[in-house]
Amino acid sequence: MQLSEYQNRFKDLMLDHPDVLDAPPEDLAAFCKSGDIALPTRLKVYRNNIVGSLTDMLKATFPITQALVGEKFFETMARSFILQNPPAKGVLSHYGEGMDEFIASYTPAKPLPYLTDIAAYEISKNHSYHAADDAPLTAAQLAVIPPEELQDMQITLRAHVFLIHSKYPLTSIEEFCMENDADKALDLDQGGEHLMVFRRNLDVEVAVIGQGEFEFLQQISNGASLGEAMEQVLSEFADFNIQDVLQKHLVLETFRAL
Amino acid sequence: MSGQSIHTNDSVHNYGPFPPAARPVEPVGIGLRYPHYKEVLETDLELGWLEVHPENYFGGGAHRHFLSEARKQYNLSLHAVGLSLGSDEPVAQEHLRGFKELIDIYQPFNVSDHASWSASGNAHLNDLLPLPYTQESLDKLARNVETTQEYFGRKILVENPSTYLAFEGNEMHEDVFMNRIAEMTGCGILLDLNNIYVQAHNHGYDAWSYINTIDAHHVGEMHLAGHIEQEADDGVILVDTHSRPVKGDVWDLYKHAVRKVGVVPTLIEWDSDIPDLKTLVGEADKARAIIADIEAEGMAHAAE
Repeated sequence: MQLSEYQNRFKDLMLDHPDVLDAPPEDLAAFCKSGDIALPTRLKVYRNNIVGSLTDMLKATFPITQALVGEKFFETMARSFILQNPPAKGVLSHYGEGMDEFIASYTPAKPLPYLTDIAAYEISKNHSYHAADDAPLTAAQLAVIPPEELQDMQITLRAHVFLIHSKYPLTSIEEFCMENDADKALDLDQGGEHLMVFRRNLDVEVAVIGQGEFEFLQQISNGASLGEAMEQVLSEFADFNIQDVLQKHLVLETFRAL
Repeated sequence: MSGQSIHTNDSVHNYGPFPPAARPVEPVGIGLRYPHYKEVLETDLELGWLEVHPENYFGGGAHRHFLSEARKQYNLSLHAVGLSLGSDEPVAQEHLRGFKELIDIYQPFNVSDHASWSASGNAHLNDLLPLPYTQESLDKLARNVETTQEYFGRKILVENPSTYLAFEGNEMHEDVFMNRIAEMTGCGILLDLNNIYVQAHNHGYDAWSYINTIDAHHVGEMHLAGHIEQEADDGVILVDTHSRPVKGDVWDLYKHAVRKVGVVPTLIEWDSDIPDLKTLVGEADKARAIIADIEAEGMAHAAE
């Protein structure tokens, strides 16, 4: 068996139904040596290494999702995800991308409609942690821009800033899961949230932000100029105060340097 | 270095490039892992160097700040797990690019990966998978090692893997395979003593003879780690988990290797069930003590 064929077949076997390891295809079995310890035992070490290490990685990325469904459920779901979506490259820092869509179509998770948004929220946190470094826009840089040019200026968000909107109270769900207090009840109908996930001092943080503020940041991250974004937001939110929002996000260092 | 300086604002990442590394004077290092980031920076440790997997630092991000701070204090070895050098396919350009960027910034004294494969087609299985030891495998591995060395403009080390499966079609033993890859490409050998021990049990061969066969002058680094004994219906299989202290038998094998090869940078690897830093450094102290003993033996012989 040529190297390419062996590697391709072995890969397929690792991603196949676990029962197949007990009776591997004959020609592949003939290619392998077994000795005292039978082939299925040997193959299962690899299978456990692959699925086990990726499951651990997903557990680290999706702690809230796991807290909501329990460890057993999460492990079963993670295995299905892994076998259908094995990593495509040797860098795994973003592995788990697509978990939200996977959950949306994963029948056993149907009774928990907020799970998809929680997974998306956790993906944002992971991306924020691993996002490339870039310099922030400072008040001093903005101050030298002539006022008449501000309108047409395009500024953008830093790589570690992510905006998340959900009709569920994601941060309350998170708090509820992490406190693990059986006496506390969670009101899922308390309303949704607009969130900004970002990195500060090497830690990922999350801020609940106003709806107009969210809309404004969304607009400029989509390429709108300051003037266009402001106009758009003001048409929906009459009390939107651009001065306050700019001031706040200059302090939070949300915008990327020019 | 105070803990305070770690908490700089993550505005601009303007670290490096660091000055080129010489081979560390203190031969024993440990893997720098997430749970120890802050403590390693804040504690005065008798360590020669630190090792990290470059894959965890590709593209920037918060991890890199810790690596940069650590590199200010320690020599560094970049030990990759993602090049998939043994794949039938060529090494991924994207991976080479990301890796080279780190080499340029951090100036490691050693750069390495494994004599194994992970990638096939559209999947990168997150493990170091076994190669049949044939001329075809040797040629493919050599091609990928050469591509990598050309891209980096430097020699790399290739590590003997832990395997749980061998092949009927093997044309040579792994020790010979390792020597050949070094001869063909000019790469060095990263000799992992725990991997040799684990395989000697799993495939029934003599670990000491493996070390005797390896050409000493190719060896540029050694690794030590813990493994577990996994019970199956048909016997015990040893699994290289990096989750335990180094076993006594593996220390004996290390002594033999140091006597045979000489002192080279030696790493204590611990990647799961990571203990407190003190325990990990304690393992490094053991390796240092062994080196000191063997060096003393050498002096005694010379004096005779």
